[in-house]
Amino acid sequence: MSDFIRDKTAIAGIGLSKFGRGLEESQLELGLVAFKEALDDAGLAREDVDGLSIHMGWPIGVDYDRIAEVFGLDIRYVNQTWLHGRFVTHALQHAALAVAAGMADCVACITAISFTRLRGFLGGPEDHEGTRDEGGTHGEAPAYGLTAPASGAAMAMQRYMAQYGATSEELGEVAVTFRRHASLNPRAVMRAPMSLKDHQASRMVVDPLRLYDCCLITDGAACVLVTSTERARDLNTRPVTIAGMQGIRSGREEFIFSPRGLGLNQQAIDPAPARERDLEVYRAAGVDRDGVDGLYTYDAFSPLVLFTLERFGFAGPGEAADWIQDGRIGLGGELPMNTSGGLLSEAHVAGWNSITEMVRQLRGTAGETQIKNASVLQWGTSWGDSFILRN
Amino acid sequence: MTDAPYAKPLPRIAPDNAPFHEGLKAGELLLPRCADCRRYHFPPGPVCPYCFSEVIDWTATPGRGTISSWVVVHKAWFPAFEAEIPYNVVQVELDEGPRLTANVINVAPDELAVGMKVVAVVDDVTPEQYLLRFRLAK
Repeated sequence: MSDFIRDKTAIAGIGLSKFGRGLEESQLELGLVAFKEALDDAGLAREDVDGLSIHMGWPIGVDYDRIAEVFGLDIRYVNQTWLHGRFVTHALQHAALAVAAGMADCVACITAISFTRLRGFLGGPEDHEGTRDEGGTHGEAPAYGLTAPASGAAMAMQRYMAQYGATSEELGEVAVTFRRHASLNPRAVMRAPMSLKDHQASRMVVDPLRLYDCCLITDGAACVLVTSTERARDLNTRPVTIAGMQGIRSGREEFIFSPRGLGLNQQAIDPAPARERDLEVYRAAGVDRDGVDGLYTYDAFSPLVLFTLERFGFAGPGEAADWIQDGRIGLGGELPMNTSGGLLSEAHVAGWNSITEMVRQLRGTAGETQIKNASVLQWGTSWGDSFILRN
Repeated sequence: MTDAPYAKPLPRIAPDNAPFHEGLKAGELLLPRCADCRRYHFPPGPVCPYCFSEVIDWTATPGRGTISSWVVVHKAWFPAFEAEIPYNVVQVELDEGPRLTANVINVAPDELAVGMKVVAVVDDVTPEQYLLRFRLAK
């Protein structure tokens, strides 16, 4: 555990482009809108940005060098990750680490992506990462017709259902809740009300996952500016500090889309409550799990919400499908999650749409989706990484 | 079989997995087994993930296992699979421990369940490439 980063860095500005499907704008155009909005939000100039942390580069997004040259930046720190949602946490963490280490004064995390222009990329013939030898990074097995990220989440959910008796109806609570949140959010791509009946009537994509268990495929951009908390205090907005963080977990006991011990890929079948080693984010931030006012996660597929709750010990092994019922993860519930609608109903901006929502919540500017008196919010994923933000 | 070229993706044969695919051509399911700790592992690589020994024996196994999870694919991400929708993909936990991903042949989607016993079969999808699949055990 390390608390050296605690509250030393802050998110000082956020910006978003419009979200949609089949947008005509290039990723650079969308990214520019988000970047300028974030600069205005913070009260910073383009010259103040000396670092870039890019989650998704070419061809879904834009690479750091192109952004720097097109936007006329003079950059001295860069981080750029694989084309995977799993590195969203990492991209923010490395911005904070670079600022804390003095390698940059202000890092712009710019995610400007167009999924709809690249339909063959996710799970299709152009998905080179999915065709990795002995399985893609979500458990893809292309020779057998298992080619998309959804397949790994489906494989994990099927086993979870068999082991614990969880049902598709219980899982439907995730999609229905996040749609309700999206209906309050004018930016959300999917705002029409969804009932459990609608969820159950949606077509199977990879059994046991239905269409509404799978996130949207959209275009859009988000920008988050990370600087020192000291500097952020002199800027336009109330600083939202990065209180603590923990990294991605990996190894034979880990599968990207399941909790430990479920028995996916080479995991042991050994369900156990969250381990202290996997809860270091709370110690790093100096907060208790009970003190978290809302949880945000990468909801590419609805089972990931269950697995995240179990990862961080909000629910015990096999308990999350029951735990989420009756409004528990909805606005007004015990632990509101993905209050802007998430990837399932707001838009797929690789999780950054939810991160900007966390910032609005902690500033008290979330409007219709505001969590009353939100002061500590957690971002955590089914692959075990996390950060905690507070105001 | 038709004379149309095989349009589905094929495994890429590389140094780490070549013995596995050579085994299939010979009608055998070979698994990497550590010569020191004697445990089987997957995926293959230059070292035992349990004891870190670099002495690996590719060992013929009977190909018996249990379905540990399964899905039914309803969407054609690859055009070549479109005609088979809906089709199953399973993870099988072999009796030796490793789990492999493949299809179960001759089974309806609604018959599949976690815990079913299966047996390996080899499918010669092209003259050069054989694939491991499974059938339900009798």
